[in-house]
Amino acid sequence: MKTVDANGYYFPPDFRYPISYTTKTYKHEDVTVHLKIPPATPDLVAALAEHLKKNREKHLSRMPIERIVAVLDKASRLWLDKDYPYRRLALQTIPVITGFSSEAVEASIDVEMETSLEHDMWQALRSEIQNPLYLDDFQYSDELDGYRRAFGPELVVSFFSENIPSLPHLLFMRSALVKAACLGKVASGEPTFAALYLKTIEDIDPDMAGCMAVLYWQGGDEEVERAAFNHADAAVIFGSIETCSSILKRIPNTVKALVHGHKMGFGVIGKNRMHHKDAEDLAVGVAYDHAMFDQQACLAPQVYYLEEGGEISPGEFARILADAMSSMEEKMPRGRLSAGEAALIHQSRGRYEIKELSGEAVQLMTSVYGTAWTIVCEKSPGRFSPSPLNRFVRLWRVKDISQVIRELKPVGPFLQNAAVAVGDEREPDFLRELGELGVARITSPGNMPVPSMMWHHDGIATLAALLRWCDVEKMMKSEYRTRNYECRVNA
Amino acid sequence: MKDITQELKQLDKDILAFIQKSIAHDDEKGFNDLAMRAFELQFEHIPLYRRYCQRREITPQEISSWDQIPPLPTDVFKEAVFSLLPDQIARTFTTSGTSNIKEQGNVSYDEGGLNLMDATIRTAASEMLFPDGVRPMILVLAPPPEIAPQMVMVYGMNRLIEYFGLPQSRFLIEEIGFDIKSLIDALRTAEKEGVPVAICGGSFGFVNFFDYCINKGIEFHLPAGSRCLDAGGFKGRSREVGREEFLDLCKGILGVQRGFCVNLLGMTEISSQYYDNTLKNHLQGLNTQRAKSIPPWARVQVVDPDSLEPLPEGETGLLRHFDLANRGHICAIQTDDLGSIVPGGFEVYGRARDDGSRGCSLSIDEMTRIIEDGS
Repeated sequence: MKTVDANGYYFPPDFRYPISYTTKTYKHEDVTVHLKIPPATPDLVAALAEHLKKNREKHLSRMPIERIVAVLDKASRLWLDKDYPYRRLALQTIPVITGFSSEAVEASIDVEMETSLEHDMWQALRSEIQNPLYLDDFQYSDELDGYRRAFGPELVVSFFSENIPSLPHLLFMRSALVKAACLGKVASGEPTFAALYLKTIEDIDPDMAGCMAVLYWQGGDEEVERAAFNHADAAVIFGSIETCSSILKRIPNTVKALVHGHKMGFGVIGKNRMHHKDAEDLAVGVAYDHAMFDQQACLAPQVYYLEEGGEISPGEFARILADAMSSMEEKMPRGRLSAGEAALIHQSRGRYEIKELSGEAVQLMTSVYGTAWTIVCEKSPGRFSPSPLNRFVRLWRVKDISQVIRELKPVGPFLQNAAVAVGDEREPDFLRELGELGVARITSPGNMPVPSMMWHHDGIATLAALLRWCDVEKMMKSEYRTRNYECRVNA
Repeated sequence: MKDITQELKQLDKDILAFIQKSIAHDDEKGFNDLAMRAFELQFEHIPLYRRYCQRREITPQEISSWDQIPPLPTDVFKEAVFSLLPDQIARTFTTSGTSNIKEQGNVSYDEGGLNLMDATIRTAASEMLFPDGVRPMILVLAPPPEIAPQMVMVYGMNRLIEYFGLPQSRFLIEEIGFDIKSLIDALRTAEKEGVPVAICGGSFGFVNFFDYCINKGIEFHLPAGSRCLDAGGFKGRSREVGREEFLDLCKGILGVQRGFCVNLLGMTEISSQYYDNTLKNHLQGLNTQRAKSIPPWARVQVVDPDSLEPLPEGETGLLRHFDLANRGHICAIQTDDLGSIVPGGFEVYGRARDDGSRGCSLSIDEMTRIIEDGS
């Protein structure tokens, strides 16, 4: 029996507040995790928020963007080191708490951190605000023929209601890049990663860590949430459609809110990509898209549309995919499921099996044991419905890819990520139509779970949306030119 | 395919005799023989089920025990009709849970199958709900069969009235809604005349009635022998109430002692009903743990949610039923209810699927709620 102690919170090193901690225990097989959690009260949240803002004023707001990027880059590189002690700790705790296999947690840390390096941050900043030095001081802008500067919020409150490991770190990065303090409310499903990540920041730059905190409370605790919102000027909310709309109603008008409700991804493979030559590679990509985060992330595909009339049929592709799903299961096993998730898979398999046995053109393929993976290949029902997830692959046959646009139209507001391989002259028009439909990211099969830091998450310019600009125009140029700002970053 | 009439007639007779024997006999061999005979017929005459079993390499010749018979998941009733006598269907009940017709399951009964269901209702209720022989006024918090002929619960309650109720027994939900005033009048009359009452219905209906009474400051002192029979969950149709609070409300508002409050598990896919042993034990002076009693003509297993392998007593998993009275459709049914085997029977903790999603991808339940909210 192995016992691991972990923290389900992070406070800045100089934060003092009388707290009697509680411990939550998680067990799986021979590992027990004792998670230390401070009970959140409105007073604690208020004191913490004020503390973060004070530290931000003292440190982060005056920190050059170059230093911020360097700290965050170093943190990512540390996490990419397989021997990094915090990473090893996370690999012990997260599988026990979330049920994800440790291979899957490891893969998700790698994926997230590899796209969170210096280069990615500069690219993201330039993509959204052109000149990152606008964050440091007034810079001359040709377009304005004057000077402009961008100010981030004082305090961003972030709600993570999900258990996707390493998603929270992204919000701390984004807040730091706009020089905002950040208070993250973690989910009961995965409260440890964010706390460990902030420990890393503390080790590199305690001043910066002084502007960051992680706390858990039961979502919907209105008094605690009111305290958080009353001290913040921005909020970033992740959660179900209902959670988001309930929280939104309670956020004061003065607080800038960015909302990431539950979304869904999908894939489309055109007939000119359905040939023997690269079917295997394509199948490996499709398997990876479904396997990463066990299909629980909004980036994951809920369905892949396959166009008929190619060199290989959708049914043949399904068989090739079955091999890929099976070897994916060996490399990166699917995590443990709740009873409800497993029951849903068995019930859904049962329905598809009965359709198949009734003579409908439905193919069902499953892992030999348990619920590890499932593939269903059928004619598109014409109307989107969600997948049971947890590596439940649905391949929907379509006569023509244009059908996909029509069928997804009713769920446009929920669309996020699309993997597309059309492979002929229809592609440009198809992409345009996907964009109009509401899709926020288009990539190729096998790349669905690995967005760059530059992508517009759910269609939002996540850094720019947090900023407030101050423009200086129509003033005597000489007054400003004398200060001679120059670009210190090689853009 | 040979004609099954004779064979079926004999099987029905034998199952009926087995059900009517009592609730307390224990005849494993008799049960297993009947189960295998029913399976043979279902295997032979329900082609879809036969193919389902063959895919699992199971035929009646290859197995000898009821627990090797392949169970069908409840959701398959949304895809197809499973009936031993598809051209003699007398009744079709639909599963509830959603307003989307495509998502409703259909379970069909022939006359013989209905007779078996009637027998289970009579035998089980006489020993689990009315073991004291009381003949009460039965008030049902559900619509009458004319309004809801497709609800198996309504069918069952109607049988209860027929077998056990006084003439003034009735259903209290009309097309316009819950007739609370009529319920209150009936309860006051019963109080005055000293007539015992059996209030039966969905658990949420009780809670909505209790909340109404609390609001208006209404209380009853129902005559001795009165009882409550509640079934099902709350799921957004009333506030959520734990069992202890529910029993306190029965006592506080109706004046019904907790020993006279019985919870029932019934499902459209299963002909039999599972009653709490509370009333039976109470009358026998036994103070044992509450459990759903398993009648001799049924078996309940708890299986691992992922592997579907049976779990030992006490462990929580998915409930699997085997019901001889299901001979008209499929005897072996895999549910997605969470439960465990406990001394005296089993306990059910609700639908496993109500535990919500973990990730940030849109889930089936979420989508259903959004659509239902918007419609």
